[in-house]
Amino acid sequence: MNDLFLIYKNLTRKKLRLFLTSFAIFIAFLIFGAVSALKGSLDSGIEMSADNRLVVVHKINFTVSLPYAYVNKVKQIEGVKDVTHANWFGGYYQEPSNQIVALAVDPASYFDVYSELIIAPQQKAQWLKNQTGMLIGERLAKVYGWKVGDRIPISSNIFSHNDGGHTWDFVVDGIFSAEEVQTDTGYLVFHYKYFKETQTFGGDNVGWLVLTTKSSSINEKVAKAIDKEFANSQAETETSTEKAFNKAFLEQLGNIGLIIFSVVFMAFFTILVVVGNTMVLAVRERTNEIAVLKTLGFTSMRIFKMILAESLLLAFLGGLTGLGVSYIVIKGVSEQLARFLPNMVLTTDIVLQALFYMLALGLISGIIPAVNALRLNIVSAFNRG
Amino acid sequence: MGTILSQTIAVIIMNIRSLPRRIWMSAAMVLASAVVVAILLAFLAMAKGFETTLESAGSDDLAIFLRDGSSAELNSVISKEQVSLIETAPGIVKDSEGSLLSAELYVIVDGIKKSSQTEANIPLRGIDQRGITMRKGFQLTKGRMFATGTNEIIVGNGIIREFDGFDLGQEIHFGKNTWTIVGIFSTGGNVFESELWADVKVIQNFYRRGSSVQTIRARIESIDSIESIKAFIKNEARLNLEVQTESDYFSTQSKSLNYMAIFGKVISSIMALGALAGALNTMYTSVADRSKEIATLRIIGFSNISAFFGTLFEALTLSAFGGLLGAFIAFLIFDGMNASTLGGNFTQVVFSFKFSNDLLVQGILMALLIGLISGVFPAWRAARMPVLLAFSNQH
Amino acid sequence: MTQDKLFELNNVCKQFVKGKEAISIFENLNITIKKGDFLAIMGPSGSGKTTLLNLLGGVDQPTSGEIKFDDDRIDQLSEGQLAKWRSNNVGFIFQFYNLMPMLNAARNVELPLLLTQLNRSQRQQSINTALELVGLADRAKHMPGELSGGQQQRVAIARAFVSDPKLLLCDEPTGDLDRQTADEILEMLQLLNRKFGKTVIMVTHDPAAAKFANKTLHLDKGQFVEKELMA
Repeated sequence: MNDLFLIYKNLTRKKLRLFLTSFAIFIAFLIFGAVSALKGSLDSGIEMSADNRLVVVHKINFTVSLPYAYVNKVKQIEGVKDVTHANWFGGYYQEPSNQIVALAVDPASYFDVYSELIIAPQQKAQWLKNQTGMLIGERLAKVYGWKVGDRIPISSNIFSHNDGGHTWDFVVDGIFSAEEVQTDTGYLVFHYKYFKETQTFGGDNVGWLVLTTKSSSINEKVAKAIDKEFANSQAETETSTEKAFNKAFLEQLGNIGLIIFSVVFMAFFTILVVVGNTMVLAVRERTNEIAVLKTLGFTSMRIFKMILAESLLLAFLGGLTGLGVSYIVIKGVSEQLARFLPNMVLTTDIVLQALFYMLALGLISGIIPAVNALRLNIVSAFNRG
Repeated sequence: MGTILSQTIAVIIMNIRSLPRRIWMSAAMVLASAVVVAILLAFLAMAKGFETTLESAGSDDLAIFLRDGSSAELNSVISKEQVSLIETAPGIVKDSEGSLLSAELYVIVDGIKKSSQTEANIPLRGIDQRGITMRKGFQLTKGRMFATGTNEIIVGNGIIREFDGFDLGQEIHFGKNTWTIVGIFSTGGNVFESELWADVKVIQNFYRRGSSVQTIRARIESIDSIESIKAFIKNEARLNLEVQTESDYFSTQSKSLNYMAIFGKVISSIMALGALAGALNTMYTSVADRSKEIATLRIIGFSNISAFFGTLFEALTLSAFGGLLGAFIAFLIFDGMNASTLGGNFTQVVFSFKFSNDLLVQGILMALLIGLISGVFPAWRAARMPVLLAFSNQH
Repeated sequence: MTQDKLFELNNVCKQFVKGKEAISIFENLNITIKKGDFLAIMGPSGSGKTTLLNLLGGVDQPTSGEIKFDDDRIDQLSEGQLAKWRSNNVGFIFQFYNLMPMLNAARNVELPLLLTQLNRSQRQQSINTALELVGLADRAKHMPGELSGGQQQRVAIARAFVSDPKLLLCDEPTGDLDRQTADEILEMLQLLNRKFGKTVIMVTHDPAAAKFANKTLHLDKGQFVEKELMA
């Protein structure tokens, strides 16, 4: 037997209480992990934005298209490195409810601008040759189980095919991935030319342009130059950094996200307070025993350490279990929600935060009874009991 | 020793007297209950507000036509020719001018949100006077209607609440186009209040749509008219349109945001479990703290039923109080709070958290449930407490 | 044969401050306790007998005066030093046993040994010896809740002498027990006193219990009368 054994015995003294306390802590950290990961996934668009990428959209709104001619004009602007363009296809697979993010892009330049995406050279070469080919992201491939070589029809809820109907036939020429887990690969890209030549509206329009600057320090200069170029034209532009653009888009999810997360985190802290309270009381009940230990000759400091260790153990026991289960839940949910959300990941950041809160819980709920035990006067303790 | 009732009352009084000693435990109990109720009500109010906004917009006596395969107004395209064909469809109410139809455009512009001072999408609807009369609950609250053929615009109440720069009389610029705000309207708090309305032909012009529109709304004779219209469309090759009642359209729209409601409910339920465990634990500790008194009472002759109900009463009271507190706080913070989020059209749907009386009732019921669960088990323990504890020096 | 002094109390005063009043328990108490004594301290409640026991056990400090144990002063030691002193020299036996409810008998007895440098097998040996002496070797794994009052007190006694202290302090050790069991306990204390030379100081209000001692101290209002008894 040693001090650790005594701590263990004290913790397991009332099994129901141990269970309820651990359960509450477990729930609190399960929620913390899962919701933090969700928030992270929503924010990841911002986090994963490249430093030197700019997005050019129509000044009225990004849903209004820009003239194709703008692509070359932007290429000429000083400080611009690579330019690509994209059109929102409004894609779905088989059922309108199976929405897919599909973009009609310029194949030659897309992967230059989005250099963090990884595509096998022969797959890319194949795609460049095949106008009806598409490259699909890893996450999308996983959701539908598509492989290279598959013939997949993708429909549009905006555009009509000039053959009639809204479905375009594609061949999967390759699957692209990304270095970082949090970079989104839940979409597909195909040839702008294929799109332009087969859709019924006609007109040389692009949805938006994405470009890289020669250095992130000249981002603002380049953005201003671009907007100046098209000021007072029929289609004025608004250029911003990718980060700013994603952020603004996310803001549109509104304060709803903020409200939900605030509420959840508040509840998280409340549970910890309630639990901490019981932990404090649990020790207070043992005043008599603490007095006996002191009488036997255990020093105040030794008892102090034991009590602190006990509450830390309890906090970490429930907390690590909750975090561990949240990891499993996140993995599972991430797969289920793969259609809508970029990857949910339990990042190191979240884990560190959680550990910090476990530590805080253990220390704060332990320090009060530990100090009380330290100062306990044997005589008055026995008189009380 | 008196009736069960008077015994129970005596136990309750004893519990109340010893409350100050157990102030932290009681406070924790109240807090746990308050949190659960507050979260539950917040999410319910949010879901309710959202539901109200979207569902109250849809009307059963309006049919909405979209291009086949379009999931939302934004994506649809309808030609002038198709509009003329629909005018001859069966089941549509007619007035002196012919079929009661409104061919509308739906484009997106940007506005600055008051709360975040960032840009967000706002719908600009091209509509004519006839279309406006078809909107139930439409009312001009300030100013006047826009004049046909001009760049005048009227603004919904929701826009005024959430966005900067849309005051009466102001000139606004979208791209190169300038508009003047001449009126503010309400439609009873539904999603149309998050829109800007202007003359459809002016918008066709500014946005170079030619003569095409995006949706058609028609006043139908009855819900059954939808079937006959569908048959009509099927027979006409030039019509690649879908038709449904407006209320059906909006309930599909709200589905995508059901995820948020579901998420909220799941999270709050799980949180509630955690808080419940905390509350239960607190009550157990509370009873253990009083074990000597309870045992003493029982030795004196109080029945164990009184111990049971006395403890249960305490749990119920504390949690009910916590529930009221939680409901009050949730109401203070959230009632009327404007939240906005991305709707199916990529535009902002503004809605208010709605706190109704029956929400309050739900909150109290939940609190009582917590009190019941966290009280009944410790109460049972109190009732069965070994009487010898009264003599013991130990807990 | 002169016995050595174990305790020497010189002019010990003890006051308690209650609110604004200072209540005096002892004023100028002078006692000598010899090694190997079995001393019963008796007196009405409020006479200060428990306070005296606390002072002798290093659990409480006098307001003024000297307390010498084996010629060393213990009245000026710090809390940490007193803790060490207690673990080396004193075993306590309480009226309500004060066993740890979540440890079995053997582990309860082991507690004081955690304050020594003994290794595991050495500790185990001491525990076995102690439990055998009190006749509970076969109950080593039982929890306190499974033992009768008398058995619990015997475990408490085993705990009290397992690290071989010179002194055993008992606060109403038989107060919670029936006559027969009480006698068994008192016989055990006698055994420890006579066979193993432990000094036993027992606070009691029971004259029958006092008969097991060889000296009695009557305390009344902080003053005492000593009487020698032959066992």
